Amino acid sequence: MLQYILAEHPFFAATTAVYAASMAFYAAAWKSTQRLVGQLATALMAAAVALNASLIVGRWMEAGRAPFKSLFESLVFFAFTMGVVYLVMERLYRTRVFGAIAAIMSLACLVYALGKWDAEIVKLPPALQSAWFVPHVVVYFIGYGAVAFATGVAAVQLVAHYSPFVQRLLSFKAGTVLSGEELDLEKITYDSIKFGFVLLTFGLLVGSIWAKSAWGDFWVWDPKENWSLVTWLVYAAYLHLRKVKGWRGDAAAWLAIAGMAVVMFTYLGMGMLPTSEESAHVYTGE
Amino acid sequence: MTPNDVSPSRATGSGRSGPQAAIEFRHTTLLVTAALLIGVVAGAFVPPGPVNLVVATGIAMVVVLIVAVFAGKRIRETMGAFRFTATLLVALAVLAILGTLILQGKGPDVYRARYGPVAPLILALRLDDIFHGLPFALLMALFSVAVLFSAALRWPIRLKRIGFFFVHLGLLLTLAGAAASSALAIRGRIDLLAGGDVATHVRVTRGGLPTGEAQPLGFELKLDKFDLVNYESEFRVGFYQQRKVRDEDGHESEQWRLKTSFEPDTKRHLLPGGDSFQLTAIYPDFVREAKATASPGGPPALQVTIGGRTAWLAPGDEPLLAPNGAVAVVFDAAQPLPVEGVPTSVLVSAAKKAVVVHRADGESSIELTEGLSLFGGLLRFGPFLPAAERSFAPGTASEKWLNPAVQISVREGARRQEKLALAAQPQAVMLGRGGALVFEKRQEEVKSYLSTVTVSRPGQTAHAVISVNDPFSFSNWTLYQVNYDPKNPNYSGLEAVYDPGVKWVFAGFGLIFIGVFFVFYLKQYFVDDPRKHASPKP
Repeated sequence: MLQYILAEHPFFAATTAVYAASMAFYAAAWKSTQRLVGQLATALMAAAVALNASLIVGRWMEAGRAPFKSLFESLVFFAFTMGVVYLVMERLYRTRVFGAIAAIMSLACLVYALGKWDAEIVKLPPALQSAWFVPHVVVYFIGYGAVAFATGVAAVQLVAHYSPFVQRLLSFKAGTVLSGEELDLEKITYDSIKFGFVLLTFGLLVGSIWAKSAWGDFWVWDPKENWSLVTWLVYAAYLHLRKVKGWRGDAAAWLAIAGMAVVMFTYLGMGMLPTSEESAHVYTGE
Repeated sequence: MTPNDVSPSRATGSGRSGPQAAIEFRHTTLLVTAALLIGVVAGAFVPPGPVNLVVATGIAMVVVLIVAVFAGKRIRETMGAFRFTATLLVALAVLAILGTLILQGKGPDVYRARYGPVAPLILALRLDDIFHGLPFALLMALFSVAVLFSAALRWPIRLKRIGFFFVHLGLLLTLAGAAASSALAIRGRIDLLAGGDVATHVRVTRGGLPTGEAQPLGFELKLDKFDLVNYESEFRVGFYQQRKVRDEDGHESEQWRLKTSFEPDTKRHLLPGGDSFQLTAIYPDFVREAKATASPGGPPALQVTIGGRTAWLAPGDEPLLAPNGAVAVVFDAAQPLPVEGVPTSVLVSAAKKAVVVHRADGESSIELTEGLSLFGGLLRFGPFLPAAERSFAPGTASEKWLNPAVQISVREGARRQEKLALAAQPQAVMLGRGGALVFEKRQEEVKSYLSTVTVSRPGQTAHAVISVNDPFSFSNWTLYQVNYDPKNPNYSGLEAVYDPGVKWVFAGFGLIFIGVFFVFYLKQYFVDDPRKHASPKP
């Protein structure tokens, strides 16, 4: 299979390799005192994201439609959005500490996509031929990227209690914290979830409007709709609980991680549900 | 605390001390648990349904509001607090999850077959219709009251809180619109035949199932035309691999599954198993082309070009037909006979070297010469060989993909195999390391289906084309394209929906989104940061 991918889909192989390389350089930057190591990590991540974008554009041209139909296509897009969100966050918070985690997430998406490789490019059925298709999917996956980043930060926050190495990484003395200030992980998690929540809200509402124009009903309690709502409710609960005593710190971090678990189930777990046969929303693909 | 944080108020309780927080926690638990329990118990007497959902929610809201007014400020503060809202959000999430774990809206037989001994419990607890049941209704009532109280506790509206009020107003509007939809919407099916009947009623459905009722549309609906548009045919080289599959009874079997496919081009392609293949020739409209060379002792041969297609004919061959089927050419050693069912037979005799054009109204004869052209160039004669030997090779009659075939060359290590594969008769090229290549035509998939309709009522007529994602609204009804019949090209299945609540729902959506965006990204520009006014330190 690997030989086949390298020969027939060299851009896919290259994208995977560059994400792996960026992950290695970000991890090296944790210990290195050379600024160049971190800069190379960022450059490789940007290159990986650009290659990832080329996969999407190439597939779009080959298929003659937006490449968001199958699980394979969506995994490639998810890897892309996680990479983009990370690069923006790196710039905003001026830290490379989370680069390795972001690169691993994108890499994991592409590796998983290998197992879900499309036998061929399927045509878009009439229900998906809508102007809402692209905005609905794009907004959702950028939102997923944002909450995925938040989950990584929340995980680091929890691990930092037990790992002096991680604590040192997060202090302003570490080479990868470019702002020169100690990182406020909870704020970063909260900011990311805020951003993701706005997008998830938009995606949910747009999906509902699209459902009305396609199926005649804005809400049919479809399993995928239900779990998208559950995702929204969990993050809404997170945002409300930030105002409640005792729900900051580790509790908030665990809630953020629980939210990501819900997101992953919404994205990948529909086939496990006994009611999935009722859904028009489950991804095709082995 | 950053400017983005709302300062703790008496109402939010985030700064509350232990006993007050404990009271809030107790009230929250009591209210949510009571709602669920009362909903379950009352649900045993009140069946789930859209109207019952709306009525129960309304009554519960009124009861909760009255209780809250008389029960004291603490209850109102609890219900307007973040903890209560968060708890409700989680409770609603749990119900939503439950609704995906248990089939919803099916008949009792389905539950008995699917869930066996647990089915009676599911039916008794009304878990077969969670989203129209009383527990859900009571939670929605609490949620609506929580939205109202949280807004009341932050009254009056100030610019920095406009986002908050937008979100909560949007939620109330959405819920009100959803209630109106649930209780008042009418949904049903209209089946039409093109150029046939006129529909004036819709067959009402509920949960996708017919109710037996019919609702007048208030206008006439006629299907003028139905079009089914398919994607263009596609031919692919598919690579299949066998996979073990277990059926419902636990029996294992091997099934061929498509692993990947390739465009029919002439590049060498690597297969997942490590082998490779190449299409060394592609024939879009495959024919076996005959070639003839002079050979003593062989039968005569004549080159004929008809309708752009060239062939070498020998005595005994099947007649060569023109593309329009109006002309047939027969070549024989002696005198060939006319072809039945064809208006014009062109009979060529090798012995006489003559061409006889036979029609129903008579015959005419011409000498056979190389270059002879008939019927305005439709038929042309090439070289005539009195004694020839013919050979056949794959060729193509045209560049249109009408009957494609490919020559597949497979390389498996040192081993090579070649095969001519026709799409019309797919045959697998088996690979030594497992797997098979098949050149085949993909099933034509539906791209779109459209109904061209005319709607009319006294004084008004309109025409429209309805397709999936492109409904048509007329006279408070919206018509959706939902179905077609592959066996009946004139049939169209439409769904007609009357939904008075949807405008409020969408208005609520707009407010929610604007409000959320404002709360998180714009509020900071309206919050007065006290630090700006602080006197500088000496």
